[in-house]
Amino acid sequence: MSPIDPRLQEALDGERDPGDLPADLREGYALLVAATQVLKAMPPVSVASRVMAEIRQNPARVQSDGPARRLFRWLGGGRAVTVRLRPVWTLALAAGLATVLLVPWSSGIPTPGVAQGIANFVGHFPGARSVEVVGSFNDWSRGVLHLNDDDHDGIWHADAVLPAGPHEYMFVVDGERWVSDPLADHYVDDGFGAGQQNSLVIVRPVSAQP
Amino acid sequence: MSLRLVLALAVAVTPAALGAQTGNGSTRLAGRVPAAALPAIDSILAAAVAESLPTEPLVQKALEGSAKNIPADRLVNGVRRGYLQLRQARAIVSRAVPGQPPPEGHVAAVAAALARGLSGPVVERLLTVAPNEPPGPALHAAADLVAHHFDPDSAADLLVDAHNKGLRGVRLLDVAVAADHELQRPGGRTPSEALAHVRAMLPNVRPGRP
Repeated sequence: MSPIDPRLQEALDGERDPGDLPADLREGYALLVAATQVLKAMPPVSVASRVMAEIRQNPARVQSDGPARRLFRWLGGGRAVTVRLRPVWTLALAAGLATVLLVPWSSGIPTPGVAQGIANFVGHFPGARSVEVVGSFNDWSRGVLHLNDDDHDGIWHADAVLPAGPHEYMFVVDGERWVSDPLADHYVDDGFGAGQQNSLVIVRPVSAQP
Repeated sequence: MSLRLVLALAVAVTPAALGAQTGNGSTRLAGRVPAAALPAIDSILAAAVAESLPTEPLVQKALEGSAKNIPADRLVNGVRRGYLQLRQARAIVSRAVPGQPPPEGHVAAVAAALARGLSGPVVERLLTVAPNEPPGPALHAAADLVAHHFDPDSAADLLVDAHNKGLRGVRLLDVAVAADHELQRPGGRTPSEALAHVRAMLPNVRPGRP
């Protein structure tokens, strides 16, 4: 970048009459003066002034955001999070997680005693709101052993550790409809004269299971 | 799941354990059995105690009928029917296992077999083969075979053979399952052919599922 001619600088500073400049410098002087006038005509531009101008133009949009929307925006935005953990708490947290995640699946169900076994109850009751097993193993009491249909495919199931031996039972669907287990291995007349059959499960002791 | 199972186990086992400790069990009926049926059932339980019959099957029948909202007259008839089966069962056990007081477990198992439709002579024969073993599995195996339309005497013959070949307890249930599988096999076997086939396999019948 070449330095500006001192005569041209003096003319721009008002210390010299531009008419005294040589012809080539007069042309440059004219260009510089024109550029200066263009810059003076432009409004001052800054980031702050632009942001404030934007807010003034859209005040309603900013104020209409509800708490949920602001929360969503806050949750969706990036945040720097600093977590300070003490080793003892970190280990305790890890042990707790291991207990929750590993123990139920490694043991599966409580270990039955030698005179106990596991009964699997399964029934297909599409559209049912609740299914429970009621039988001789729980004194025919309601509300003790509920079946589950976690994936809502209509297949309800439950496992229970029971004393080895025969147990009569029925399903109670939606709290009022008594139904024999269609998948039971055995059935027995309930003896009350209406021809209703109880389902019968013979629980094998764990010591006899292959 | 494991928590649910623990609760189920606790609730399932506790009533039976308590019931074995509370005399004739009539106290467990208060508040659950309709008042109109309670005096008659109490007298049936008292008669059972006087005759040294097990009362737990009768208590269970009363609780079952109450849970099912069976009308009082039919409820009492159902319990009385159970009482008569227990008396018949004790007579059978006394003949099959002479020289000692009939074990309550034997009497209850025989009564359950009678309720499932086994005849007295078939029951007595199976008891005689193994008088000092719990008769429940053999009787249920025979009841299963009869329920699947096998000849009762032929079914008993097969189970006696299985016992003589060393199968005991729930393994006798596997014999009944094997015979039923042979009957269901595509191509079709007659019941007598199915029994003969299983007899030829003994004692190597496939262990059943838990």
